[in-house]
Amino acid sequence: MSGCSGTCVVVGASSGIGLAVARRLAQSGRKVAMLARRAGELDAQASLVNEALGRELARPYPHDVAAADDAEALFARIEDEWGEVDELHFVAGLMPEVAPDEFDLDKDRLQIEVNFLGAVAWCNAAARRFQSRGRGCIVGVTSVAQDRGRVGRPVYNASKAGMDTYLEALRNRLWRRGVQVTTVRPGFVETPMTSGLQLKGAIAADRAAELILKARDGGKAIAYVPAKWRLIMLVIRSIPSFLFRRLSI
Amino acid sequence: MTTATPPPDAPPRPTWRDEHVTGFGMSVGGPGRVFRPTGVEQIADAFADVRAQGGTLALRGAGCSYGDASTNRGGHVLDLTGMNRIRSFDPQSGVAVCEPGVTVRDLWRTSIGYGYWPRVVSGTMQVTMGGAAAMNIHGKNNYRLGSFGEGVRSFELMTPKGELVRCSREQNSDLFHAAIGGFGMLGCFTSLEIETKRVHSGRMRVWGIVARDLDHNFEILEDLHDKADYLVSWVDLHAKGAGLGRGLMHRADQMQPGEDPDGLRFFDASLQDVPMTLFGVVPKGWLWPGMWCAVAFGQVGLVNALKFHAGYREERSSPYLQSHGAFHFLLDYVPRWQWMTKPGGLIQFQPFLPKAEAPRVLRKLIELCQQRGHVPYLGVLKKHKPDPFLMTHALDGYSMAMDICVSKRSSRRDSLWRLCRQMADLVLDAGGRFYYAKDAVLTESSFPRVHGDAAVSAFRDLKQAWDPDGFFQTDLSRRMGV
Repeated sequence: MSGCSGTCVVVGASSGIGLAVARRLAQSGRKVAMLARRAGELDAQASLVNEALGRELARPYPHDVAAADDAEALFARIEDEWGEVDELHFVAGLMPEVAPDEFDLDKDRLQIEVNFLGAVAWCNAAARRFQSRGRGCIVGVTSVAQDRGRVGRPVYNASKAGMDTYLEALRNRLWRRGVQVTTVRPGFVETPMTSGLQLKGAIAADRAAELILKARDGGKAIAYVPAKWRLIMLVIRSIPSFLFRRLSI
Repeated sequence: MTTATPPPDAPPRPTWRDEHVTGFGMSVGGPGRVFRPTGVEQIADAFADVRAQGGTLALRGAGCSYGDASTNRGGHVLDLTGMNRIRSFDPQSGVAVCEPGVTVRDLWRTSIGYGYWPRVVSGTMQVTMGGAAAMNIHGKNNYRLGSFGEGVRSFELMTPKGELVRCSREQNSDLFHAAIGGFGMLGCFTSLEIETKRVHSGRMRVWGIVARDLDHNFEILEDLHDKADYLVSWVDLHAKGAGLGRGLMHRADQMQPGEDPDGLRFFDASLQDVPMTLFGVVPKGWLWPGMWCAVAFGQVGLVNALKFHAGYREERSSPYLQSHGAFHFLLDYVPRWQWMTKPGGLIQFQPFLPKAEAPRVLRKLIELCQQRGHVPYLGVLKKHKPDPFLMTHALDGYSMAMDICVSKRSSRRDSLWRLCRQMADLVLDAGGRFYYAKDAVLTESSFPRVHGDAAVSAFRDLKQAWDPDGFFQTDLSRRMGV
């Protein structure tokens, strides 16, 4: 078990995996600060959690992850308002449609700001506090897409790879301070982000959340969600570059 | 040399395809020229096209009406399933603005994530919003929340001339109350504003209750109707004697806030879907041939008896928790189940009877079916209340949906139609009503008897005002002399 019992912060909690994680955390009795950009959606989801559970276990904190400079102050505000935070789930992610011949810096910058810089800002804020307290848990959701650079979404792949490597470094820094850092690499999951894609065999967001919390409880360093993706990505990673560039995966 | 090409932004002309169009029961229908629009302009184009040809047009959703409500032998059929966008959903109020081809499934998959469930759903989630409004469908909670139309706030209707008319309880109120339940005779819904209801868990508490006979079924409905959110009884129509009308009632209650914390995760739409495999491995799409064998080899009575006795086990393990989707969409449990009635197909005979007359008349109907050898393989008993729509089928009483296999042999088919018309007379004599999403057998003379002369006259006046040339027609409307 993670041993955490304080307030949780879930970044990217208005839909998809983040929402499912927030619901499961609240369902287990934890206080959850739900963060997302769309205030209306977030309010509706936090109210739904509280109504369903019959008490206030979720609070909405509207926040644009691309505004990385705001993370530190908001983290402090959450702790002021709702007690010490000892668990962070960074689940926010952006995956815009990119044409095969498109190179659009604005789109690319936004992905880097949300998927990478946003993750760094929130994990830094958590790491600073958790290391001094000697406990805490950080869960970062990257993607199986970080394992290879592919034709479809170069900057999505790169931003998730950046986040993944950063989380590994964070894990290596913090384990000696008693802080757990778990990297989660989901495969195909049914979420609003992937709704336009025809993903065969996609699992429900709630199932992904269940596996993520299991990985947290098991103290895992890296978890593929579901586990079969470890094998699939092992195969994909081992494909030599001269061959990989010819494939349509 | 230049080649004449249409401007790139010109909408494509409607492309009509010759298809065989049948009702859900596959027993009625015929050839029709079908077009599937994807936008409002294409509906207007299609109207103009058919008018120019002097033809008639039937409006069709998912084709879930059992009979001929969406077929038009030899005419045109506008299939609206391609207009399936939810234009908006307000997570604060639960109100959705839908195109007519949005299905019940599309709606709940959007709403459940915000803690809302459609007010009224049918036994299958394939039904479209346009079809649901045109037939004014009901669900297992008709006695509480009324019909589908009572959750429609407003809609836009396209008239035969291609004009859009906005209707609500305040605006064009007469058209609002007539187009809902008006079986597509007054115009084509192009947009509908639909309310959903708040739910506090992704699951409901469900009870199975064995009903020993028909009277016991009515007793349970009367005892529970002011407590239960949903009530529906499966009835074994093969049982005779003391067990006539026996069945298994299902009661479902919504959760109160805080009552089912574990139900929070069931707000994930993927956890609401009806499972598509049996025991996790057997695709349910393969099950209908087994059911076909039960029908073909005359074992439906045995299957019903087994199901009834299995009900005792369910009663002992009640209450249990079930997702909204699993409770409501029984007709989706076995895909293509209606194929078990091939090659003749099926009809559904669903009389609505006033409370005082229902026990006597329903008993008589069941006995008649058994005497004539047309025993329905499925019976479903529900409780109803009146609604404010002009062509309503609802009343203060009960309905019994009876699914009956249709034979390919013309003598058997004729005897079934004769039986249904005889039963319809009994129902109408008792002040009963019928529902056009189901009916396939009523005749023109029944129309005023179902609705009363005043309502029929008002409906015909509206038809004359909005569609004087009889542009919208279906096999049903011609059969009923609308």
